[in-house]
Amino acid sequence: MQLSLNEDQTQVLDFIDSLTRPYAGVPIHDVSFAMISAELDAELVEGGFLDVGSVLELGPVTAALVVEKLARLPFALEAAFSAIVRPAIDPELPRPLCLVRETELDKPVRFLAPGASVVVVGAQGVRSFTASADLIRDDGGESLYAYPVAFLTGLPAETRAHGIAPSEVERLWRVAVAAEASGLLAAALQSVVTYTSERKQFGRPIATFQALRHRMAEAQVVTNAAYWLAMKAAASESAADAAMALNYAQEAAKRVVYDYHQFLGGMGMTLEHPLHLWTYRLRLLTSELGGRGTNALAAASALWD
Amino acid sequence: MEFEWTEEQDAFRHKIRDFLVANLPDDWEKFSEHGPASPALTAFAREFCVKLAHAGILFPHWPVEMGGEGLGPWEQQILAEEMWIAGEPRGGQYMNVNWIGPTLEKYGTPEQKAQYLTPITQGKSLWCQGFSEPDAGSDLASLRTRATREGEVYRINGQKIWTSYAGLADTCFLLTRTSDDRKKGITILLVPMDTLGITVRQIPSLIGEGDIHEVFFDDVTVPVSARFGEEGQAWEIIAYSLRNERLGIPRFTLARAALNRAVEMLKARGGFASEAVRIEAARCMALCEAAGTANYAIVQKRVDGLAVGPESSSARYATVMAERAVVEFVVEFLPESLADASPYLKMHHQRGIVAGVASGAAEIQLNIIASEVLELPREPR
Repeated sequence: MQLSLNEDQTQVLDFIDSLTRPYAGVPIHDVSFAMISAELDAELVEGGFLDVGSVLELGPVTAALVVEKLARLPFALEAAFSAIVRPAIDPELPRPLCLVRETELDKPVRFLAPGASVVVVGAQGVRSFTASADLIRDDGGESLYAYPVAFLTGLPAETRAHGIAPSEVERLWRVAVAAEASGLLAAALQSVVTYTSERKQFGRPIATFQALRHRMAEAQVVTNAAYWLAMKAAASESAADAAMALNYAQEAAKRVVYDYHQFLGGMGMTLEHPLHLWTYRLRLLTSELGGRGTNALAAASALWD
Repeated sequence: MEFEWTEEQDAFRHKIRDFLVANLPDDWEKFSEHGPASPALTAFAREFCVKLAHAGILFPHWPVEMGGEGLGPWEQQILAEEMWIAGEPRGGQYMNVNWIGPTLEKYGTPEQKAQYLTPITQGKSLWCQGFSEPDAGSDLASLRTRATREGEVYRINGQKIWTSYAGLADTCFLLTRTSDDRKKGITILLVPMDTLGITVRQIPSLIGEGDIHEVFFDDVTVPVSARFGEEGQAWEIIAYSLRNERLGIPRFTLARAALNRAVEMLKARGGFASEAVRIEAARCMALCEAAGTANYAIVQKRVDGLAVGPESSSARYATVMAERAVVEFVVEFLPESLADASPYLKMHHQRGIVAGVASGAAEIQLNIIASEVLELPREPR
């Protein structure tokens, strides 16, 4: 048991802090749900931060740490699947990487765009293809996701098969989403803490009212635990740990997101306050891999069957 | 980060398990339905802890200069886990080795150390903690039990409540008020429980018989040499003690063990096919694991020699969430375990009610998290 960061991990996270500093502030944005930055994406790729999982001395926990950290940014980045899942399928797959279940092709696909690698996970196996415009329907910029999303209109005739077991891809998928969700939970909580500490009503900051304090404190408890479960799942290679980490993160998201908007009052309804950048991402992540109940069932099978 | 135990840590855990197998009676699970502070378990613990002492696993985490083996916080955690999963056969003596011993070592006079440490290390003493009062529970600093200095003695008058182990303890680690200064007016006295003027009344409880008590002090006198630390130093000393005991009992381990036991029983009778049950069981296990990792993150800080601060309240609250979920799971899907279907689950159910109350109420943990972890502006008082 050794839960401190090692020197390499500390260094990687410090590098990311410096690199992302210009992107950490929230610009007043143009009333859109999703914020993306091609420059930031390019800098992270350039620095090799999305490949740390393939580096022997760094490995999956470092990749999860990177994903958690990047998820705190106001910008949506395709980091989780590239950093955590891609090394096991094919480290050379072009980004962004999209994962879809064969049985859930109607779902919104995050970061789906022409040129993206789409990995389809089905009962028979794992295959991939490069997305082309004719297979994509975009959301017209009207949808309520804080990620760029699009929909698949079908699968191409030819796909590339991968040797990896579908269950292994789903395990890593769960780790990746759990790590991303834990970063989103942390950023959303921080945002709410800041606002409620400043906003005054009845002559005092609203964060001094116990009705809010205890719920924010409970949110801290689940946010902290979501982080540790994600890291443990990244480290342990256990299907049960991965399913529990994602189930817990999805439960946590369900528990806090509505509250957070409520705590912000009128500001919680606006696009001017950045809260939705994290919470609406969390909302979409609650549907990953069938949602919390399905992930609980996966955990139950791994634990007790 | 490494979430696996080392070989040495695994070996240490197995040593404890082997000891338990060899030294707990066959009907132990049924026996452990007696609460940890019951007369039956206390009497058992008096013999059991002597054996633990002989086997070198009563206080292996203490520093070598105190007679321990100098094993670290992980081993203390492992010891606490194995004992608690087993129903805490040490009874109230777990407090001795977790915080009373180390606190005596740091703040005791040579005479106090000589008097009290030896019986602790032999597994022969039982302490009680005279903290809470009828009007001083979560607001501990408002305690009123008065100790008045009269020459070479202190005269004590007042009342304590919810005191575990008081019925059978030898000594009380007693918080008294020696001046009106809220926190700096509190003084610790080490009071033999057979001193004239002490009356103990048992409070019937959900945890089992003999667990909690009222203790009345009517003109009790103790020599000044019973004072522990200086007058007014109590708050500082108990803050130190709690640093040794911040995480408290590792209740998440028993919750996890009880959950696994419940799943076994459900499987045996074909009741684990239901998706509703499986989802809830997995959710409970995720909560246990969440509490486990949050607790271990705090132990790691101790291992690294870092100050353990308010984040331990977060781990404590995660533990309460896990304990609550498992108690609710078991009663929902195995209500017969509250009768005689499983002594182990019954024991867990009895003790589970304590998680959010003992050693600082869950709401106090939330207050600490709000003010000191999230650093929210404080509530007006």
